[in-house]
Amino acid sequence: MNAIIFSALSGVAMMFTGIFTTNKSAIRNVAVIALLGLIIVNLLHSYGIFVVRVNTHSMLQFETFGLFFNTLVFAATLLFVLLSGKDVTNAGTYGAEYFALIFFVLCGVSILTCYNSLLMLFIGIEILSIPLYILTGADKRNLKSNEASLKYFLMGSFSTGILLMGITLVYGITGTFSIEAMRPAVSVGAPNYGILEPVGLLFIFIALLFKVSAAPFHFWTPDVYDGAPTVFTSFMATIVKAAGFVSFIRLFDARAIEMGISWKIILPVIIIATLLIGNITAVFQQSVKRMMAYSSIAQAGFMLFAVYVNNDMSKEGILLYTAAYSIATIGIFAILTRMKDITFDGFNGLAKKHPVLAATNAVFLLSLAGIPLTAGFFAKYYMLAAVVKENGAGALWLVIVAVLFAAVSVYYYFRVIQAMYFKEGEPEITEVSGGFKTALVMLAVLIVLIGTFPSALLNWFYF
Amino acid sequence: MSPVPVTHILFVSTALFFIGMYGLFTRRNMITMLMSVELILNSVNINFVAFNKYLYPGKLDGIFFSLFIITIAAAEAAVAIAIIINLYRSHHSIDVEDAGELKY
Amino acid sequence: MNTLAYLVPLFPLLGFLVNGLGRKSLSKSATGVIGSGVILASFVVSLLLFFDVKSHGATIATAFDFINGGSFKIPFAFQIDQLSSLFLLIITGIGFLIHLYSTAYMHEEESHHFARYFAYLNLFVFSMLLLVMGANYVIMFIGWEGVGLCSYLLIGYWFKNANYNYAAKKAFVMNRIGDLGFLLAVFWLLSKLGTVTYGDVFANYSKLSSADMTGITILLFVGAMGKSAQIPLYTWLPDAMAGPTPVSALIHAATMVTAGIYMIARSNVLYSHSEVAQNLVAIIGLATALFSATIAIKQNDIKKVLAYSTVSQLGYMFLGLGVGAYTGAVFHVMTHAFFKALLFLGAGSVIHAMHHEQDIRKMGGLKKKLPITHITFLMGCIAISGIPPFSGFFSKDEILAAAFAHNPVYWGLGVAGAAMTAFYMFRLYATTFLGTFRGTHEQEHHLHESPSAMTIPLIILAILSVIGGFVGIPELFVHDGHLLKSFLSPVITEQEHHIEHSTEYVLMGISVAVAAIAILFAISKYSKNPELGEPAGLGKILADKWYIDELYDAVIVKPLDALATFFKNIIEKSGIDGIVNGVGKLVTYSSRQLRLLQNGQVGGYILFMVLAMIVVVLIWVNDGYLYKMFTSLF
Repeated sequence: MNAIIFSALSGVAMMFTGIFTTNKSAIRNVAVIALLGLIIVNLLHSYGIFVVRVNTHSMLQFETFGLFFNTLVFAATLLFVLLSGKDVTNAGTYGAEYFALIFFVLCGVSILTCYNSLLMLFIGIEILSIPLYILTGADKRNLKSNEASLKYFLMGSFSTGILLMGITLVYGITGTFSIEAMRPAVSVGAPNYGILEPVGLLFIFIALLFKVSAAPFHFWTPDVYDGAPTVFTSFMATIVKAAGFVSFIRLFDARAIEMGISWKIILPVIIIATLLIGNITAVFQQSVKRMMAYSSIAQAGFMLFAVYVNNDMSKEGILLYTAAYSIATIGIFAILTRMKDITFDGFNGLAKKHPVLAATNAVFLLSLAGIPLTAGFFAKYYMLAAVVKENGAGALWLVIVAVLFAAVSVYYYFRVIQAMYFKEGEPEITEVSGGFKTALVMLAVLIVLIGTFPSALLNWFYF
Repeated sequence: MSPVPVTHILFVSTALFFIGMYGLFTRRNMITMLMSVELILNSVNINFVAFNKYLYPGKLDGIFFSLFIITIAAAEAAVAIAIIINLYRSHHSIDVEDAGELKY
Repeated sequence: MNTLAYLVPLFPLLGFLVNGLGRKSLSKSATGVIGSGVILASFVVSLLLFFDVKSHGATIATAFDFINGGSFKIPFAFQIDQLSSLFLLIITGIGFLIHLYSTAYMHEEESHHFARYFAYLNLFVFSMLLLVMGANYVIMFIGWEGVGLCSYLLIGYWFKNANYNYAAKKAFVMNRIGDLGFLLAVFWLLSKLGTVTYGDVFANYSKLSSADMTGITILLFVGAMGKSAQIPLYTWLPDAMAGPTPVSALIHAATMVTAGIYMIARSNVLYSHSEVAQNLVAIIGLATALFSATIAIKQNDIKKVLAYSTVSQLGYMFLGLGVGAYTGAVFHVMTHAFFKALLFLGAGSVIHAMHHEQDIRKMGGLKKKLPITHITFLMGCIAISGIPPFSGFFSKDEILAAAFAHNPVYWGLGVAGAAMTAFYMFRLYATTFLGTFRGTHEQEHHLHESPSAMTIPLIILAILSVIGGFVGIPELFVHDGHLLKSFLSPVITEQEHHIEHSTEYVLMGISVAVAAIAILFAISKYSKNPELGEPAGLGKILADKWYIDELYDAVIVKPLDALATFFKNIIEKSGIDGIVNGVGKLVTYSSRQLRLLQNGQVGGYILFMVLAMIVVVLIWVNDGYLYKMFTSLF
């Protein structure tokens, strides 16, 4: 509760900051302070201290997992702001407003991690999405940015329509929006609601699959990630996507049984399609930014395993995956923002000119590829282990397919490393400060630390 | 005069939903596409109100949900219009096929 | 005494480290002193251990748990008993003499190569000590591999010569074949008994089925074949003469090659319970003894003769092991170590004097120029020929007597081999030391006796060769005169054999007479008219070593080469590469096609999504039909 209220207030505060000052560093500092505050009030919630007491009429339900996930997301946002804050303010004309929108997105995230009613799901998704439409189009003079924004809006609102249609079908049959309330009735198996309720749920799941950019509902992702200003791509690809997964897991946790056995075939097909489209299409890309868009689809395929199996291990896995993936992606996009040429050729010879950038970038890429000793390895490991743990040897084929696609992913990640280290070139790069480099190094160290002691992060969660 | 059965109303809303969907992938005009989205949202509104009125007359959940949808649809429309205006400024066209630079 | 045991291998290890790390900075004399000193120190400690064992019996010193695998444990432990303490004395004693000898022999080398030589040599001694001191087969195996490595390094010591490197590789590969057998035997033991510690294995041998016993002992013997150069894995040893002569003396005559004998003597409990394995050992040993003796007759390289002689003598030892005369085999290891080291070092002295000329056809008449070498070499020749009372007589006689008791045919063939031994040794002696000098004038001018660092070891070894046999005087002459047998009795269970005393006298007489005739024949034949030309007929076949190398080349190496070429050119190029590149191409191709889906048109995207939704709903409506079909596939 604290996080929802505080993030909304922070958003408003950021808007007013824009009125009072145009000093970009001041705006950034306010944002950082607000984020720190956000983390603190969220942690306070865990200890039962509330800013305002609100009766949510059980439309929201706060659990450790959701709260911890909030902390993780806010921390990732803080890293993002510390690393790319300058680029946020430089993305368009209105620096403070962008931060305000980011806070509204965080508000949506906080709702999505604890909703207990389909109404809250809908509101959370909209609060998350509408600021993103604007952020995508933030670079107003840029054709691509505008186009991306339009595409995002059209497809996003279409998926909202699907979501609402699903909700209304479920409501029509059960008469309630609560995702908890209906569960016992079905598991007892007394009333048969016919076909409408599962179809309604199917629609909701499809809308959520759209939000996490699972194939074949992924079409918006490459175009939007490619067209949006790079900083906001970074934000969307990490924080927003993770929030989509958490909302998905929450709903799935409660209602998957009603979907019947068919769901167990639909989801693996979608996972494989996602891995296929993401990994294979990324191979032929010329722009690193677009490659990262496809790679984020591919990573979503891995994260979908957490939806597929849904046990304790997969929950730990999605936390680890979120942390690992977000840190690496934020780092890569931060470097990408500083590049003049964002094609693969633009990275040629980076290692000679900017060894720190190249080395940290290599660590991030290795982590995304899931090479051992990086966080990405354990993230993937936990996911696959959860699958095997839940379904035994019967799911081994799925694991093998996933590992094969992970092997394909090595190809395009290593293309960047190859360009940086083994090709000659004159990479053009805007000025990087010492602080930026330090932050990058710290991120890289964090990745290796999580990769070496994955349980440290998870222990904190249980603590 | 016999009351209109709920199935008739559902038929109307479903028809509206699919008209909206059809509009989304056949129309080129951005404004028309926006209108198609609105059609979809409104079909859902009709659904909610009808379900509430016929099946759960003692409660107001469905009606409130449709209020939220209307509000949010308004917000979406505002953003959408802003995006379209912006695009028109740069493309001098509101044909969605002109916005096809991002592909592959 | 436990702690003393650690010191024995520790000294050579220290020497290896100091000489190896300090090879650039240490002077030659410092290297020599360190290299030899550490071995002397080990020898002194070994002596202490020997007397301790003699009075107090065996001890086991456990340093730490080497491998702790839950159900089984392999401790890093040393077993100091009668057998290992005897070998310790041989290794460190003769090792020291050879180190001392090396300081003079290798003096022409550059100082860092000189230090490298001593480092390797110390490492060898260290590994050899591990081999004999280990209290289980795993520690023995570590030493076993260590000596193989050092042998490789030292054969290829002059690494600029491609042939020497080839010889080193050959030795290594052949040894590896044997090592595999050894390793399999260790695994087999571990799987059946759960332990590889000698004491536990020998106490529980009855738990092994006879098939297991036979399998294990034969595999162990395969290991011994490689290390101790028996048919069919013997061809590396003559080539190993590429190494410096002291190395040949230490590694390829006195110590390493006897590791196989040590291993089988150590495992005598197992062998005594597997008749098949024993017969195999005896037959292989005898065949090797005869076969290599025939080859030795026609060799003209002084070291090659000695090498084949070594193979032949090792064959005798295996014959002894095969007929159950374990003590006799160990006894022969000891006496052989004395006289073969002596012969090699003598040969080294000759080579040194002749400026690295090894062909005996270019020598002759060295008797006067190299008096000490001559006398000591003669002692060695007499000893190896089995003339009483020289040491070789006692040990060889013991083996032959046991062979007779086992099967008179073995004895007959053994005596024939002994005659050949006497013949080729005296052919070598006569061609080298008697007659007139046949080398160049310049060589004659420079002929000189070697320095005292070389002659002193020769003299000591000569004395040992002469008197070394008296530790094992047969029952025949002195009652309870076989000191070695009574010393080794706690660890070696001898298979008793009984021959009438009269028969034994006859046998002994025959073998001595045959050897004496062979000696006289060789001296009379070669002292005046040595064989100078190229041999023909059977002689040529012998000189070309029965074409065994060529046979191996044709039967094993060439087909393997062809197979490798096939794999490299056909399977690898078009198969593996084709698959790997094909996968890459497939991925790139599908990437190119798949990205066309993303056509940039929102309408198309939405259409796709709606189609996908329809498919999803259809799958769902089918209610698991597809799922069931799908799962039935896996």
